[in-house]
Amino acid sequence: MGGRHSLELALPGASIGAVAGAMAGGLTLLAGQPTGMAALAALALAVPLGLFGGLYGMLLGHGVFRPGTFGPVGLYWMAAFPVSRLAQEILAPTGGLAEGVPAFLAYQAMIALGFAIGFLWLHERFMPHWLVRRAGDNPLAQDLLGTYLRFARVVEKRKSARKGARR
Amino acid sequence: MPIRKLPDAPPSVHILGPTVFLVALGVGMGESYMWPRLVLLFGPEIRWLFLIGVTLQAVVMLEMARYAMATGESIFSGAARVFKPLMWFFFIVAIAVYIWPGHLSAGAAAFEEITGIPWVVTAVAGLVLVGVVFTLAKVIYNLLENVLSLLIGALVLGTAVVAAMVGSWSDVVTTISGMFSFGYLPPEAMSAAWFPVIVGACAFAGPSGMQQMWYTLHLRDSGAGMGVHLPKVRGLRHAGEEEEMPSRGFMFDTSDPAEMAKWKGWRRWVTFDALLLFWGITMLVTISFTVIAQSAVRQNPAVRTAIQGDDREVALSAMADAVSSAGSSVLGVVFLGFIALIGLNATLGLFDSFSRGQADMSFHFVPGAKKLGMSKLYGIFLWGVILFGILILLFGPADGPSGILDTLAFLSTFAMGAYCVTLLLVNNRMLPKPIRPKWWTNVIIGFGAVFYLGMLFYSLFAYGVVVG
Repeated sequence: MGGRHSLELALPGASIGAVAGAMAGGLTLLAGQPTGMAALAALALAVPLGLFGGLYGMLLGHGVFRPGTFGPVGLYWMAAFPVSRLAQEILAPTGGLAEGVPAFLAYQAMIALGFAIGFLWLHERFMPHWLVRRAGDNPLAQDLLGTYLRFARVVEKRKSARKGARR
Repeated sequence: MPIRKLPDAPPSVHILGPTVFLVALGVGMGESYMWPRLVLLFGPEIRWLFLIGVTLQAVVMLEMARYAMATGESIFSGAARVFKPLMWFFFIVAIAVYIWPGHLSAGAAAFEEITGIPWVVTAVAGLVLVGVVFTLAKVIYNLLENVLSLLIGALVLGTAVVAAMVGSWSDVVTTISGMFSFGYLPPEAMSAAWFPVIVGACAFAGPSGMQQMWYTLHLRDSGAGMGVHLPKVRGLRHAGEEEEMPSRGFMFDTSDPAEMAKWKGWRRWVTFDALLLFWGITMLVTISFTVIAQSAVRQNPAVRTAIQGDDREVALSAMADAVSSAGSSVLGVVFLGFIALIGLNATLGLFDSFSRGQADMSFHFVPGAKKLGMSKLYGIFLWGVILFGILILLFGPADGPSGILDTLAFLSTFAMGAYCVTLLLVNNRMLPKPIRPKWWTNVIIGFGAVFYLGMLFYSLFAYGVVVG
C-alpha cells in the first residue's frame, strides 16, 4: 500500500521527465532513419528522465527534498541528467561521445542545471493540483499537501492583512 | 506615506514569482539571435560584454524591487516624487517605442516557416487573442503568471535538452571562458558598421528598454512587500469588482526590529529570484543558443555569411536549416518553434506591461483619470495599442516609420541609462535611511548609467550611428 502511495507522488515528475525526454528523443529522428530507431532514441531518454523525475516526487513525499528549493534539486539533476543522456547514447548513439565520456558527462552536468530549473518550475506548477486530487486516499499526499498548505497559509495571511488594512 | 504593517516574506525560497515576467520579456531576440550572432562574428571572447550587461540588469532588478516592495508604488510614482517631468519622459518614451508591433514579426515569421501561414495573419490573430484574453480575465496577473510559467518552463526544458543533444564540452568551454575576456574588442568591432550593433546587443542583454520599470508593477500586483496593501488590476469585464486604488503607497516602520527582520526576508526572496531565475535562465538560454549557433556553423559554413547580413529572418532560418542538417528536420522545426515561443512570451508580456505602466501613470497623474479606475485605464491602453498595432500591420511599417527608427532605438537605450539615474535618486532620497541601498550598489547602478549612456553617445559621436 505504501508503495502505491509513493508511486502516486511520482506521477507529475515522471510525466515532466518523460515528455522532455520524448521531445528530445524525437530530435534524433535522423533523416531517412527507420521509425523504429527513432522511437528507440526517444524511449532511451524518456524512460530514464521519467524515472528520475518520478523518483524526485517520491523523495519529496518522504521529506528528502523541500518543496520549491532549488539547490538540492540542481545537485540531483547534475547526477541524474548526465546518466540519462549516457544511457541514451549507449542505446541509441547520436555521436555525443566523440569527445570522450568525461567531457560528455561534464557538459551534460552543466546543462543539467538549466534542466533542473525548468523541471522544478513545472513541477511546482503541477504537483499541488495533483496532491489536492489524491490527498483523500493517500496519507503521503496529504502530508505533502500540508507542507504546501503551510506556504499557502502565509500567502493567505498576507491577503487577509490586505483586507483588514482596507477596512 | 502612511505607515502599514509589512507582510511576512514567503517562508521558503520559493520558485514562483513575478520574475517570470522579467524572464519572459528579457529572454528575447538579444539571447536567441543578437549574441549568438556576435559570437560567430567576433569569437566567444566578445561575451564579456554580455556578462556585464546581464549582471548589471540583475542588480537593477534588485534595486527596482527595493522601492516597489518598500512602498507598494511603481518606480514611475517614485520618479514623479523626485521630479515630475522625469515620469512624463518615461510616459512619452513608452508610447514612442512600444506602440509599434514590430516585435511580433520575428516570432510570427518563425511560425510562418513552420506552418506556411502568412505572418501578418498570425500577428493580427495574436493581437486580438491577447486583447480578448486580458479583457475576460478576472485578475490579469494570475492568468498571465500561469500562462507564462508554462511557456517558460517548456522553453527552458526544451532549450536545455536541445543544447544537451547538439552541443559539446568544447563549445561550452569557449562560450563560458569568453565571458571572462574582459576588455576584448577586436578592431573590426570598433567600426561604424559593428559598434552600434554591439551597443544594441548590450542594451538587449536581459530586459531592455523600460521592461525593468514595468517589473515594479508586477511586483505590486503579486503582493510582494507593501504591494500587498494595493488592489490588483482586473480585466475589463470584471472592472466593476475593482477595489479602490489608493492615491499613494505605504511605508512600514523601519525603527521596529520585527518589521526590519521581515524586510530582510523579502530582500532574500527577491535576491534569489534575481540570481537564480533571472540571471540563471538568461545565461542558460543564451549559452544554449550560442552553442546551437556554433554547431550550426560547423555543419554548414554558409550560415556565417547569412548571419553576418542584416536580415534577421534570413539569419534565423539559415540557423534553423543548419540545425536541421546537423540533426534532423525535426530539430530545425523545434528551433523555429522556440523562436516563435520567445516571440509569443514577449508579446504577451509587452502588451500587458505597456498598458499597466501607462495606466499607472495616467491614474495617478492625469486629472480626472481616477474616476475611470485602474482596470478601465488598463483596458483603454491595451485596446489602443492593439488596434493601432493591427492598423500598422495591415497598412504601415511594423517597426515604425523608417525616418524615426534611429530615434526609437536611441530612446530605448537612453531610457535604460535614465532609469539608472532615476533609481539612484528615488532609492537614496525617498526611502528611509535603514533601507536605502549600500554604497557599492549605488556604484554599480551609477556604472550602469555610464555604461548605457556612454556607449550610446560614443556610438553617436564617434560613428554618427545610434544603435544597430
